[in-house]
Amino acid sequence: MKAFSFPVLLFVFLAAGCAHSPDPAASFAPPVAPPQAEQVLAVSDSEQISPKPPEMPVKSETKNVDEYGDIEVLEKVSEEAKGEIADPLEPFNRAMYHFNDKLYFWVLKPVAQGYGKVVPEAARVGVSNFFVNLAFPLRFINCLLQANFRGAVEELGRFTINTIWGVGGFLDPASSKDINLSKQDEDFGQTLGAYGIGQGFYINWPIFGPSSPRDTVGLVGDAFLTPSTYLSPWYAGAGARVYDRVNDTSLKVGDYESLKEAAIDPYVAIRDAYVQYRLKKVNRKGGNTPAEDFGLPKK
Amino acid sequence: MKSLEVIVIIVFIILIAPGRAAAGGPFGPPQPIAKEAGGIHTGIGYWFHEDKYKNGTELVTRQNQVYSELGYGSRNGWEITVRVGMSDLKLIDAFSSSTASTATSKKDFEEHGKFFSTVGAKGFYPFNKTFGMGAFIQGTYYFSDFTDAVSGTRNGAPFSVELRVKNLWDVNFGMGFQATLPYGIKMYIGPYVHYSELKVSPSADAAGVALTSGETTMKTQTGFGGFSGIEVPLAKGFHLNLEGQYTERLSVGAAVLYVY
Repeated sequence: MKAFSFPVLLFVFLAAGCAHSPDPAASFAPPVAPPQAEQVLAVSDSEQISPKPPEMPVKSETKNVDEYGDIEVLEKVSEEAKGEIADPLEPFNRAMYHFNDKLYFWVLKPVAQGYGKVVPEAARVGVSNFFVNLAFPLRFINCLLQANFRGAVEELGRFTINTIWGVGGFLDPASSKDINLSKQDEDFGQTLGAYGIGQGFYINWPIFGPSSPRDTVGLVGDAFLTPSTYLSPWYAGAGARVYDRVNDTSLKVGDYESLKEAAIDPYVAIRDAYVQYRLKKVNRKGGNTPAEDFGLPKK
Repeated sequence: MKSLEVIVIIVFIILIAPGRAAAGGPFGPPQPIAKEAGGIHTGIGYWFHEDKYKNGTELVTRQNQVYSELGYGSRNGWEITVRVGMSDLKLIDAFSSSTASTATSKKDFEEHGKFFSTVGAKGFYPFNKTFGMGAFIQGTYYFSDFTDAVSGTRNGAPFSVELRVKNLWDVNFGMGFQATLPYGIKMYIGPYVHYSELKVSPSADAAGVALTSGETTMKTQTGFGGFSGIEVPLAKGFHLNLEGQYTERLSVGAAVLYVY
């Protein structure tokens, strides 16, 4: 029985999946695809980085004042946008990275591949839509907390349309060209970031993957607004989340492998990508962050 | 705008025109709502339905149905539709007493929130860009029983009876003629055949209360009727469907559909 309970518990923890985002495409934990380092750097120089105060520890600003002032501003923005983060727990984080890596290759990937062979892709996309639709309260409340009222209205519209005309959320008519209501990719970690709370330092949690103290706190809020948390008995909710994770991974097998192959040091690549991704999500008010911005394949 | 007024008046006249027999769910226009190349559509709808059953006793039923719909087909060909919904059921005067010695606490049988499912298929043949005709078949089944209880007194002695309505189902077959107006508005009209059946099962016999004298199978008597409706394209891929059916009683409803 004990031998059986270990893999079960493992799956239960896997169900928690991404530590920060209900959107599986946004996760950087090994079970889903992390971004490619080169593209992350490209994003860091994009014009979408807002001149907000840095939301994470960055290198000290240059003291050289250019006579035109422009260069200094550019350097400052660039350093912020690089999204460097303190990593005092690097030995621990690296160990956890390897743990998660093995977990992905030994458990999650084989299960997801087997599931993917049995269930047609259209059905898996439908299941993914269903769970995304179910996470509506999380996105809606966080839009309100960030005073993103337009986003809240769009989320409400999406939920209504997809629930009624999307067969309970299995279809996603709200994303069609005609209706065009985009998903608001918001969570409590981003809300805390929008309030000016910095990320702190980098933590790579076992099973949960890349995170920070701010985003770890955000997880608690996320759990309260995730409907599967309230399923009874507790293992029904855990089972639902495990299934969601396996289903989602089955749609993304290969992404993580691509990153690993492309990166010289996958640990650093994932860490940087995670920081960049969270920074961009905090700075972007409303709307979804395109996965391809971070090296993830376009869905 | 004038044409729209005309349509509304025509539909109204059709709906209130005297007809025969009962009804069993909206049929929609003969032409499938799906896109030219084929695809799915979804929708929600409300349907007010009345029917009349007979087997010694005459029984009038009234239902409010709310349903969700999923369909697949191609615009100038065929379409299959599945609906799942909830409905109440009222049997008017089911508990009324026919004798002075029996008094009951209420007249009508009533229960809410039972699941039903409807499956339908239709085929369409266009004559030209404006006119066309089609045929359809559609059936509905209720998965669970409706129950209600009545108490009362008979010759001064109290009694209580529970009535159970089981195996409620109907089937409809018909033909429709359609005209496509400007702005993609479709008007349709046609005859149909309707048959419905239910079983009434009492827990005890209460003399004077008609439906309590053993299990009875009741059927619709008049099986022919007419239906008419209009489908209006709304914005962003949505369509509004209004329809009326008339057999022995009038049934009307509305649905909002979305085409993928």
